[in-house]
Amino acid sequence: MKRTFLKIYTLALAAGLFCALPACKKGYLDINQTDPNLTQRPPINGLLVATTYQSAINVYSTGYITAYYVQQLASPNTGSGSDIYDDVDRSSNWRAIYLNVTDIRQMKQLAVSQRAYEHLGVADILEALNMSMVIDLYGDAPYKEAWSEGEDLRPAYDGAKAIYDSCLSLIDQGIAALNLPDPLVALDPVNDLVHGGNKSAWIKTAYALKARLLNRKSKLPEYDPAAVLAALELAYDSNADDAQITRFESLSPWNSVAKNNASGTLDGWLSATFVNALNGTTYGVADPRLPLITDLTRFGDYRGTVNGVGRTGSGTDNSQCALSVNGFYSRGGAPLLMLTYAEMKFIESEASFVANKAGSYQAYLDGIAAHMDKLGVAPAAKQAYVSNPVVAVGQAAFTKDLLFKEKYVATFLQPETWTDARRYDYKYKNFQLPQGALLNTFIRRVGYPTSETSRNPENVPPVGSLADHLWWDK
Amino acid sequence: MKISTGLVLIVLLAVCSTTFAQKGKTISGKVVDADTQQPLERVVIVEKNSQNHAFAGETGAYSITLTGDSATLVFSILGYVTQQIRVGTGDVLDIALKPVHRDLSEVVVTAFGVKKEKRALGYTIQQVDNKDLNVNHQPNVVNALQGKVAGVQISSSGGGPGQGSRIIIRGINSISGDRNNQPLFIVDGVEIDNNTYTTGGAETRGMSNRAADINPDDIESVSVLRGGAATALYGIRAANGAIVITTKSGKAGKLQVTYSGMYGFDKVNKTPEVQSKYSQGYLGEYDPASFWPTFGPTVEEAKKLDDTHPDQLYNNYKQAFKTGMQTRHTVNVSGGTEKAQLLGSMSYLDQDGVIPFSTFTSYNARINGQFEISKKFSAGVSLNYINSGGNRVNADRYGEQIIYWSPRWDMKDYVKPDGTQQTYSSGTNNPIYTLSTNKFRDNVNRTIASTFITYKPTSWLNFSYRVGNDFYTDGRVHQAPGPLGLVGEAPNLDDNEYGFMYEYNLRSRTLTSTVMANVSHTFKGKYSVDLKIGHDLRDQRVRRNSVMGDTLVVPDLFLLNNAKRVTAESYIYDYRNYGYFADLTLGLNNYLFLELTGRNDLTSTLSVNNRSYFYPSVSLSYIFSDQFKLPNWWTYGKFKASWAKIGKDGDAYSITNGFKAGTTIGSSVPFYQNRTLGNPNLRPEFTQTTELGTELRFLDGRLGLEAVVYQQQSKDLLVPVDVSTTTGFDKAYVNAGEISNKGLEVTLSVVPVRTKDFSWDFRVNFSTNSNKVKKLNEELQLSEIVLSSQYGYLSSTVSTKLVPGQSYGALYGRTYKRYYGNEVDDKKTLRTDLPLLIGANGFPVLDDASNQRYLGSTLPKWIGSTTQTFRYKQLSLSVLLDVRHGNYKYNQLSNFLSAFGESKETENRDQTMVFNGVLADGTANTKPVYLGQAKGPDGVDYGAGFYRNYYRGASENFIEDASWVRLRSLSLSYTLPVQWLTPTKTISGATVSFTGNNLWLHTKYSGFDPETSSSPSGSNASDSFSGFTYPATRSFLFSLNLQF
Repeated sequence: MKRTFLKIYTLALAAGLFCALPACKKGYLDINQTDPNLTQRPPINGLLVATTYQSAINVYSTGYITAYYVQQLASPNTGSGSDIYDDVDRSSNWRAIYLNVTDIRQMKQLAVSQRAYEHLGVADILEALNMSMVIDLYGDAPYKEAWSEGEDLRPAYDGAKAIYDSCLSLIDQGIAALNLPDPLVALDPVNDLVHGGNKSAWIKTAYALKARLLNRKSKLPEYDPAAVLAALELAYDSNADDAQITRFESLSPWNSVAKNNASGTLDGWLSATFVNALNGTTYGVADPRLPLITDLTRFGDYRGTVNGVGRTGSGTDNSQCALSVNGFYSRGGAPLLMLTYAEMKFIESEASFVANKAGSYQAYLDGIAAHMDKLGVAPAAKQAYVSNPVVAVGQAAFTKDLLFKEKYVATFLQPETWTDARRYDYKYKNFQLPQGALLNTFIRRVGYPTSETSRNPENVPPVGSLADHLWWDK
Repeated sequence: MKISTGLVLIVLLAVCSTTFAQKGKTISGKVVDADTQQPLERVVIVEKNSQNHAFAGETGAYSITLTGDSATLVFSILGYVTQQIRVGTGDVLDIALKPVHRDLSEVVVTAFGVKKEKRALGYTIQQVDNKDLNVNHQPNVVNALQGKVAGVQISSSGGGPGQGSRIIIRGINSISGDRNNQPLFIVDGVEIDNNTYTTGGAETRGMSNRAADINPDDIESVSVLRGGAATALYGIRAANGAIVITTKSGKAGKLQVTYSGMYGFDKVNKTPEVQSKYSQGYLGEYDPASFWPTFGPTVEEAKKLDDTHPDQLYNNYKQAFKTGMQTRHTVNVSGGTEKAQLLGSMSYLDQDGVIPFSTFTSYNARINGQFEISKKFSAGVSLNYINSGGNRVNADRYGEQIIYWSPRWDMKDYVKPDGTQQTYSSGTNNPIYTLSTNKFRDNVNRTIASTFITYKPTSWLNFSYRVGNDFYTDGRVHQAPGPLGLVGEAPNLDDNEYGFMYEYNLRSRTLTSTVMANVSHTFKGKYSVDLKIGHDLRDQRVRRNSVMGDTLVVPDLFLLNNAKRVTAESYIYDYRNYGYFADLTLGLNNYLFLELTGRNDLTSTLSVNNRSYFYPSVSLSYIFSDQFKLPNWWTYGKFKASWAKIGKDGDAYSITNGFKAGTTIGSSVPFYQNRTLGNPNLRPEFTQTTELGTELRFLDGRLGLEAVVYQQQSKDLLVPVDVSTTTGFDKAYVNAGEISNKGLEVTLSVVPVRTKDFSWDFRVNFSTNSNKVKKLNEELQLSEIVLSSQYGYLSSTVSTKLVPGQSYGALYGRTYKRYYGNEVDDKKTLRTDLPLLIGANGFPVLDDASNQRYLGSTLPKWIGSTTQTFRYKQLSLSVLLDVRHGNYKYNQLSNFLSAFGESKETENRDQTMVFNGVLADGTANTKPVYLGQAKGPDGVDYGAGFYRNYYRGASENFIEDASWVRLRSLSLSYTLPVQWLTPTKTISGATVSFTGNNLWLHTKYSGFDPETSSSPSGSNASDSFSGFTYPATRSFLFSLNLQF
């Protein structure tokens, strides 16, 4: 009995020790050398989807900041930081753009090794688009030392002008890459959320972006309208060429804003400046685009919120206009616009204003018409508006003021509107400082985010105030 | 020296080796305490190897009729040394039992379950036995340790049912995300998982730390190993200390059944003070549908405008909480023979929280067996099955919604007859309605199994092998109905969206295996050598899948196929670690001991070059009272010293990089580069601990003092550091720096009174720990590391940072501007000695948000506790008081309450005052300003008012002293006298007790109980921030313990 017990339990002990044996197995400890939740070989079209989507979202989130500065949107809360020029922390916007460029550069690397020239071109264009938003808001920013794959954890800041020049050369490189013959991998139509794999559409977008960037130098002596027009030649021909996305993770972002507002999470309220510009108060003509953006208030009219004043009603009693869940920009599935034909028309108008006033005036009218078509304004209403004497003043009486006034509407919710406002020195009619503004003059830049001031402080350049002009805003 | 008469008797009896025919003979006698000669009642007298037993009565008298020949009687009672006496010729057998002087020959459980005499240890261990552990009937074993051990800081994250609790031993010495600073939990030699998983977005739902599954009633003793040499044998995972739990096991003897039951009710112990003067509206204008809860006119004025207005405002904090209930029942069956002992227990716990709809239920079944298979082999097996879970409310969200709810309306009226939300405006959601519809349930099925076998071929050699498996599945369901689409419905789209059903399934398996060989021998009776060598392995595997279905077609049909959009995710996690260890203890004359250990760990989380590392420890214990003759009143004295080095590995996957799949867009799967930069060159973190201490006993054990000073230095801390996002990453794994802790721990135990009927003894635990960040990674030029932050309005967000020269958990935030005059502003220090800078409008000025100033430390200066026990005959009263002093916390609740005009301080909004400070030119401020909104009595328009424009934007207004003194528990128990029970013939022992927990709290903190936190129990942020927590509770419990 005893011996049997002994045998059984020695066996049990040995069996137990076997459990310790896996430790002796080769590679037993290698289990954490790679992360099974990640892959080392991402599909290039997977990066394409990620980068095109995120670039559009970045346009949205940057627009969400700038729309308050140009008084297209206003906060329902009195004294809200984004209205009254408070140094609000923009860490998430900064982060979203920089992380997106990380993915863009990874795509570029893969494109080079896989000879996917179209992806290479798209990557260049998207990087230029994203960086152009960074320098527009923040001015100087890290560029050459950024994205060092961990080599440099505290990148130095480069001058905004240098980054701007890099953007222009990126666009040229992108166009050249798109024109290279025989890529081994082509853009996948399903995964290219912007242009559905259409190479020539991307080339047009590249020129459109170039035109926009070149036009930014309007205040500087080196402003070259001819170059702008040359770029526009090869850019968009119609609304069908617009760079936009229509597929989303869940809801179209502005739609989500409108829906939240409708359910009580107040957001997406229209500024009185914008509403008054369109409801006849400021300019004397009712713009048929307004009903396609928002709904009537409970008073039966359109009224906005004065920036800095906040709501006058309870917030949920429909006393003031907000983005509508049925509006063009904010209904379900609404396209998220990145670069549009209408915008190009206005750039054309501005660039040719001096040299070719007739062409400039026509471009202005075409721009209005194009925007109205985009929003779905009925032809009769469109015709009525475009021929209204307030709008159609005639070539001789055509001024830059009218140009900017209309461009303000056509680039609703676009980040570029703020660049335009600053180039125009905010000279829109009845455009005033928000109530309770923390600056004595209009805002000209955004401060650096706390993610930079706390994690990279020695490199962050000092900012005097948010009224400091950026390099092109002299 | 007292030589008990009992001993003489034993000697005499032993001499008479002749066996007598004893069957049927009746033996009687008297049992007394050997020291006091007082009779001992309830002593159990068992005839060895039979079921025959008897009990000593009140006078110590007993009588037993033998059933066999050559009988041996075993006399035992808790607190005394058990004696076995061979029955001799006589009929009378008087016995004197010696009380166990625990202090002198105390045996404690050390690493790997090895029982050692405390005297031989050169490091500090404190043991808590079942009775002390359960005196206040805490269902979570971590909470049960509160106030009972020095050097340990335990914080319950809230009073919610099943709510997690956090334990830090000897301060924060590591910051890595994965294992935080929690110690290792060992149950019967097997490591159990103590993670708090917040899967499913459950960070603020008070999820349980998994050690909460252990039933404290099942625990025999808990040894707290405070790190350093005590845990050197455990290696990497015990760098923050270890909690070694030994569960109850069967005892030889007749079958014993015990039942313990507890029933209690809970009430919230502290709520913030709110103003009751002003009603709903904004800018002083009344509006019963306003978004603004209390910026309207006074209640009197509102009543004039609205005749349905209540006479008094409701107090939201009285409406929001109800009386909770908790009950626990445990049945324990144990018995055995010399060769086999078995214990089985079943337990049921049910808790209903003070926040409506919060519950936690746990079923626990356990079997524990020990077998002596032969003289050389013994084995044991333990199996514990637990099923626990409940509905976990989002206490943080509840707290937030309570603030948005206007006290003009009754929150308790939350649902309409048609089942939809009852609220006064579609812009405000009823907090209770949210809880009733938005449900998050977890269901854990866990099996902890372990087995061991010991082989002792000779007297000086033994081998043991222990293997255990902790496996559990945690299934979580989060669901909410969509809008029903009825007329007049005010759906809660914020929390419930358009209806959703999310399912998360987590499976975790932890396998532990330990093999050990032990050689021990004493040469010449003087020199003892004890050598242990072994191998220890841990293998953890976690798999998780989540399926999320949103936008339900039929709003209340909670099935995934009813969802319009379904997305899914999965996650894989593995971890392996093994080590070889050796422990050599040399002893001289049983009063001088030297222990040397060494361990070499190999881990899977570091790269091949860095994954193997060795660390030693040495400790010395010198019982000088044995060598030198000390005065009579000085019973025992020991000096101890130890030094240890422990290595720590990184988070799994901290050395890897790659791309991860994102949320699908249409039918496309996007890929993003992983936002955390892995570092293949990560080195292990090392902590060195030096400890010096002493243990003294005086007056024959009536006074005991243990004191330890220690110093700990941790180098190459493994931290995922926040980096500039321009690098392309959010975080980077680096060896980030050095942190040091030093402190003092003192335990005093005193027995001032001990007489026959009455005794009073108390214990005091005191500890201080001073922590300092020595330096941060110089290569990377890190000047600070932000650990976490919590939101505050107007950029008054408070963050905790690691800054060289400061302690861990330094709080930073936004302040008012001060007038510097000719002095220079370093932009980091808050100069409260300088006057406030007052603006031209008469109000203080908020400083730039980028000037984040130091506001206080989260770590306490000292913590202390005392347990006082009074015994009078059958009654026993136990009082536990604990103190935490010198720590500060950010009170986010207060920030929100003032932003919405609800806190008590905003009641002065109808006043005009002159702020004390100077203007920009240095002259004193004289401008009177109105503190309210809109037009003041001076005709000036104050807009949104002082509280919204300025007060809520200064973090300094909300950093509060979170020190406390609290009466943690008061427990009165009565042991029924044996004569009341003998008529029942089945019940052999009964105790009833009444316990009050958390009865009294003294603190300056203005929110809920400062111990609570909205951060999960696994998070390092939970000491710094409290947020809107699950409030702590005051409980009143009745419990009954029966032995059959």
